Amino acid sequence: MIEFRKEYFADERDDNLNEIGKPTQRQDALGHVTGRSPYYDDHLFDGLLHIRCVRSPHHHARVRRIDTSEADRMPGVVRIVLGKDVPQNLNTLLSLLDFGLDDEPLISEKKVSYKGEPVAAVIAESDRAARDAVAKVRVDWEELPAVFDVEDAVKPGAPVVNEIYPGNLFVYHGKYDHQKLRFGDVEAGFRQADRIIEGRYQMSPIEQAPTETCGAIAAPETNDRYVVYTSTQALFFSLDTTSKLLKMPSNRLHFIGGTVGGGFGGKVDSLHEPMAVLGTVLTGRPCKYMFDREEEMQVGAPRGAERWYIKDGVMNDGRIVARKFIGYFDSGAYTRLSSYAIIKGVGHLPGPYTIPNVYADVYCVFTNRTPATAMRGFGITGVDFAIEAHMDKISYEVGVDPIELRILNAYRDGDMKAHRRLAKNTALIECCQVAAEKAKWPLSRQAQQASSLRDGGGARAEMPPHTAIDHNGAVTGFTAGSYARGNKKPGQAQPVSMPQMPRHETAPVTPRYEPAARPQPQPAPVATQPAPPPPAQTAADARRTRFSSISGLRRR
Amino acid sequence: MPVRVETYERLDEAARALASSRTARFLGGGTLIMRAVNAGDQSFDTIIRARDANWSAIRAEGDGFVIGAGVTMAAVVASRDLVFLAPVARSVGGPAIRNMATIGGNLFAASPYGDFAAALLALGATVNLAGSSGRGIPIDDFLRDRERHATSLVQSVSVPRPRDASAFRFVKVSRVKPKGISLMSIAALLPQMGGRLQGARIAYGAMAPTPIRVTAVERALEGQSLDIATIERAAAVATEGIDPPTDALASSWYRREVAGVHLKRLLSAERR
Repeated sequence: MIEFRKEYFADERDDNLNEIGKPTQRQDALGHVTGRSPYYDDHLFDGLLHIRCVRSPHHHARVRRIDTSEADRMPGVVRIVLGKDVPQNLNTLLSLLDFGLDDEPLISEKKVSYKGEPVAAVIAESDRAARDAVAKVRVDWEELPAVFDVEDAVKPGAPVVNEIYPGNLFVYHGKYDHQKLRFGDVEAGFRQADRIIEGRYQMSPIEQAPTETCGAIAAPETNDRYVVYTSTQALFFSLDTTSKLLKMPSNRLHFIGGTVGGGFGGKVDSLHEPMAVLGTVLTGRPCKYMFDREEEMQVGAPRGAERWYIKDGVMNDGRIVARKFIGYFDSGAYTRLSSYAIIKGVGHLPGPYTIPNVYADVYCVFTNRTPATAMRGFGITGVDFAIEAHMDKISYEVGVDPIELRILNAYRDGDMKAHRRLAKNTALIECCQVAAEKAKWPLSRQAQQASSLRDGGGARAEMPPHTAIDHNGAVTGFTAGSYARGNKKPGQAQPVSMPQMPRHETAPVTPRYEPAARPQPQPAPVATQPAPPPPAQTAADARRTRFSSISGLRRR
Repeated sequence: MPVRVETYERLDEAARALASSRTARFLGGGTLIMRAVNAGDQSFDTIIRARDANWSAIRAEGDGFVIGAGVTMAAVVASRDLVFLAPVARSVGGPAIRNMATIGGNLFAASPYGDFAAALLALGATVNLAGSSGRGIPIDDFLRDRERHATSLVQSVSVPRPRDASAFRFVKVSRVKPKGISLMSIAALLPQMGGRLQGARIAYGAMAPTPIRVTAVERALEGQSLDIATIERAAAVATEGIDPPTDALASSWYRREVAGVHLKRLLSAERR
């Protein structure tokens, strides 16, 4: 039962909307509950071939040799596919958005970095024949030391998980081994605070566990095209990824999706479509590639684990004056989408609160675990758990009621957020008030009368008087901008030279950036600074400019 | 290598066929074996099945019941005679699984499955093999030598009837309800004579590779009245001599920590 509290924000809302605020039946609900919705696996093809992968039993190993001679002779085997058969056998999903280096093969040739990584694919007349042949492929493994903990992975001498990023850290904007957020001066905030409250928070990976396992069926179509029925939840993303890996113009690919048997983020990785099309290209016959349940759990990418350290400077009345985050996302062996989750998460910091000094270093770490990917709200849910657990900790240690503490620190309309946008439609205060009312939780008169529409903006809309910046974690050998392609021809996405990446170490906070006084802007960076920081913005600027979803500022 | 299916009219023929092949498996309800077929299990290429009607019959005999190995969990739930076993059968899988899963198959189910076998162990059942005349094997011995019995075919299980309804208790501990898999299951036979426990049998499922007796707890209970002090003493030795497994559901440490709590609740007949 939905209860609408229309007394809130009545003047901000148009109630003459056709869909918003009204219950709407999903258009596919009838087909789902009557069992008539066609899923990709319901499409039948004469002469369908089945693809099954030979997978690594090790978390980290070099592939010395793959012997397919016995498997080749097995009844029903049509073709065995190796990494060398993949036209462009290195990709990163977000290269389509020009973000990150190609770091993951479709079928690995020399090394595997997680348990279940494919090194060969068998195409056979039946699923059983494919499985029987997979059991006959002999792989000569040289097991390597593996690393499973994010902080172990960034220590000097840790095994190199992903050779594209030898420091086991994703490189942000071609500059740093982590994503930075600097707003004000947290160290000054800590000095000003009555007390410092610290916490460590750890989340586990979570499997999306779809009822329908990931998969795709490809078949030859007229005009030299390929039709693909797929479970993907990102149809054109999968199409473009297939186009890239197979070096095939995207107009030769005809993708049909639309019925996803449970996704929750776990069906964006586009592992199956390229493999199914490749099988069809190599055999000329329809090919199906689908995870079985065990593969879905072991190989299918989960929500990644996260570890957060939060350090807050808090006044005795509960006001938070400085908040510092050190975050580690466990990306598993390859980037997939964790790099992006961090960009999103850092834009969210310090949570729905107005805190004058905020600092974050967030690392996208490679470990020998299953690569992580999307899952509902990824990048936000983990750190929100950490933030809210930490708010409760502050409440306990300072002796301020937990809901009052949130209302006291809540952002309000017109406040400047740490990512330099003005907050609007905030409503955390009203959520707290309704939650307290529902739970019959007593609130002070002051908290009851607070409103997200009042007491925001003004001084709270100003940029901090100065922001402390630094170049910790700077890397060389990577370029910003179109670094997915570097300076080379498309399709050869490697760093120009093996980058020298400093390991994770924290240098003293230098130098500081003093913003120019308005209305006479002066060039603030001095010549000794290796890279000028982005110019400080005012609230007026922030209204016109906003942080794009991936890679920087853009005009609205 | 396609999988071959051989069907026999009589159980003893099926037993002979099973005993004569290393790469044959017997199909009961198929809830375990068909999963292995689907996963392309390379260790067998033949499935043996039997149509013998006796294999799925329940009959009273002496002071107990003889339950055919092919009796399904759903049939146990529906049986008027096996009321004391109904909660155990109901705890296995969901309706679809219970319609197929057999008590014979449950005897071979690897941990953390095998909750029904744990109950049979506490009840002191006897396992009767097909094609072997003479007396059955005590379930303790059968489970201990389970690997050796991999090529045997179980015909039936003889279960003594508990003296009164409250003398047999069972709990399955799982995180997902219903249909969750066991973190552990506890089955307890608690016969009392003149207010004192006599011949108590306690069994755990999912706490070892097979269901096991918990002798330390049985010793703590034997000859005592089932009061708070006795229950405390029993709970204190809940995992003595036991090395619980770590699996995807729970760590060894966790199982060790919670075993005493669940045992205590079961013995004090606390509702959970």
